[in-house]
Amino acid sequence: MSENIIEIEHVSFKYKGSEEGLLKDTSLTVRKGETLLLTGASGSGKTTIIRLINGLIPHYYQGDVEGKVTVAGRDIAKTELYELAGVVGTVFQNPRSQFFSIDTDGEIVFGPENVGLDPRAILERKDLVVSEMHIEKLLGRSLFELSGGEKQSIACASVSALLPDIILLDEPSSNLDQGAIRKLAGQIRMWKSQGKTIVISEHRLWYLKDLVDRVIYMDSGKIAHEWSGKEFASFDPGQIEQLKLRPLEVPDILSPGCGGDCDCDGSCKVDLTAPDPAGGITLKKFYFSYHRNPYLIFKKNFDENDKNLSLCIPRLVLPKGAVIGVIGKNGTGKSTFLKCICGLEKDCKGIIETDGKEYKGKARLKLSYMVMQDVNHQLFTDSVESEVMLSMTEPDKERCEKILDSLGILEFKDKHPMALSGGQKQRVAIASAMAADAKLMLFDEPTSGLDFNHMEKVGHLLKTLAESGNTVLVATHDPELIELCCDYVLCIENGKLGYMKRV
Amino acid sequence: MKLDPRTKLFMILVVSAVVMMSATTPFLWAVRIVMTLIPIILLIIEKKYTSAFGFTFLYAAALVMTFCFINEASATFFKTFVTGYSGIVVQFMPCLITAWYVVRTTKIGEFMSAMQKMHLPDGITISLAVVMRFFPTIREEYSSISDAMKMRGISLGGGNAAKMIEYRMIPLLFSCVNIGDELSAAAITRGLGGNVRRTSVETLKLHVSDWLLITAFTAVAVIFVLFKYVL
Repeated sequence: MSENIIEIEHVSFKYKGSEEGLLKDTSLTVRKGETLLLTGASGSGKTTIIRLINGLIPHYYQGDVEGKVTVAGRDIAKTELYELAGVVGTVFQNPRSQFFSIDTDGEIVFGPENVGLDPRAILERKDLVVSEMHIEKLLGRSLFELSGGEKQSIACASVSALLPDIILLDEPSSNLDQGAIRKLAGQIRMWKSQGKTIVISEHRLWYLKDLVDRVIYMDSGKIAHEWSGKEFASFDPGQIEQLKLRPLEVPDILSPGCGGDCDCDGSCKVDLTAPDPAGGITLKKFYFSYHRNPYLIFKKNFDENDKNLSLCIPRLVLPKGAVIGVIGKNGTGKSTFLKCICGLEKDCKGIIETDGKEYKGKARLKLSYMVMQDVNHQLFTDSVESEVMLSMTEPDKERCEKILDSLGILEFKDKHPMALSGGQKQRVAIASAMAADAKLMLFDEPTSGLDFNHMEKVGHLLKTLAESGNTVLVATHDPELIELCCDYVLCIENGKLGYMKRV
Repeated sequence: MKLDPRTKLFMILVVSAVVMMSATTPFLWAVRIVMTLIPIILLIIEKKYTSAFGFTFLYAAALVMTFCFINEASATFFKTFVTGYSGIVVQFMPCLITAWYVVRTTKIGEFMSAMQKMHLPDGITISLAVVMRFFPTIREEYSSISDAMKMRGISLGGGNAAKMIEYRMIPLLFSCVNIGDELSAAAITRGLGGNVRRTSVETLKLHVSDWLLITAFTAVAVIFVLFKYVL
């Protein structure tokens, strides 16, 4: 029996200003070298436990804490955060907001510099971490150019560089594609082999089920179940579904020919059962590049033969009234594709044809509506109702209420959109899309970081939208979501059409 | 070519001081134009051709406007507008170019190391570093928000200037506050703000090019002060 490195004793916690406690009389011990998975619905207290261990509670996020947390022999309440820096390392959910530096090298050495190590020792550590993780090619680059997966690799490296005994990961896979998640799993395996204690809070389970020693299932602020890793891995899909967890196996629907996120080298072709143009939406001449052709006076339009095209789709027919999953690796052009369709990239001169009408340029903005990954960017007003009205050409209160009711958010109509939860905000954005009469609804990663329950809800919603005559395109890395609601999958590879087929 | 951040800060200091002293003689104008050319050349050395070209073009255009078209008869609205506009550009562009060069070429690590070498308190160093870190973030957020506004057809705020700003600022503020919050949490779990003296892997040394630039800019500052206030 090895020693306990983390001890949480009868801890209750509630954030300042909130009425309800997030954690209720919870006790948990973690042994040295153990790999522990925390799972359960959003808001069940997983993140709170992570924050208790890394000391952000009570030192950064204030609230009422009862009970005692001891990490590596230190009483957290009496330990300053910077003293924990070399003991506990945390990888956070959102790659874009956990960087302090602008360049990759600076980020890796940031932690060791803070704790005042000798510069020579820091560089040695950096070399060690870089060679261990094989990230040589990421050095010397701007963090803002990296893909989500690469950013997460750098985040892992910068945590590693402090050589902590305990590593915490808070929903680390939320913004990653399958390939990057596999890499992350490899990273966790490496830490495990180095004898580190690892605590992971996560919704996606398939990549962890063979890695973890113990699984804790949280439910409304309490530890509801506890299983050994082996027990957990042997659960059948029915049990997992009952627990409202995401499945342990990735559904195989993205194959055949294309493994996971489509690594195929052009071997799969556009499925011939694609609908005929008469009943579909035809996209023509969608070319776009982030590397602009140099020009002085006349801007040259992109065409098929340009090099370095970020998007190159000469012609594509989308089935009307269907949910189409857009898949592909991080940075392969899914978001570009969506942005071009709805006309946000002005230099993309693609034409959309539907019902015998052609939509070009700005007209595309009217036809389509994109619900962004970060919905905070598209909520502008001070109440849900005015948010929806803003999208209408003729303000119509009755219709607005109808829309809100159909999405189940009528009760919030006078609330400030920013005061709502993530899922509710998403619904407000969808309501605006419906109010704008968009026929083509685009979703960019609507389920990243959602638990199974919420993902299911989003899936049903997308289906309903399609049933009422809209065409829904959803860019996603969640095979679970595709299985739930998509009629077709469309694979984008390096900006080109990989294949499209019926699910 | 890599310059020491201290040289860069000195450049900003001198340029900002010089733009506040108006050039009155052709000689002073010449000095000022030469001073503006230095950061432009530095930008070219750093292969930032687009911005170098853009700045040169704007600055040259404004200079030509100021010198060739402006006389006492500039009374029409259009002429007044052009005069004012190019006056401002000529006056403050040097500052903008230098600041642009510094922000684009300085890594946060280098910057913090330089500040520490100058024995500035950590509080100031860290806050300035965070500001630098935030520029690209704000740009990213701002462009997503503009996209969202375009999509809803409210880029112009429905013709209402106040709304136009409001629609842009509210989501921007919200997301910057959120990102800032997460950013600080991530930074302090990695030991930022401790009472240990921070070290730095960036070894800073003033090279020949640094001394040359420092001399050049000191000369510019001295010339301006001498010609304006002493002679």
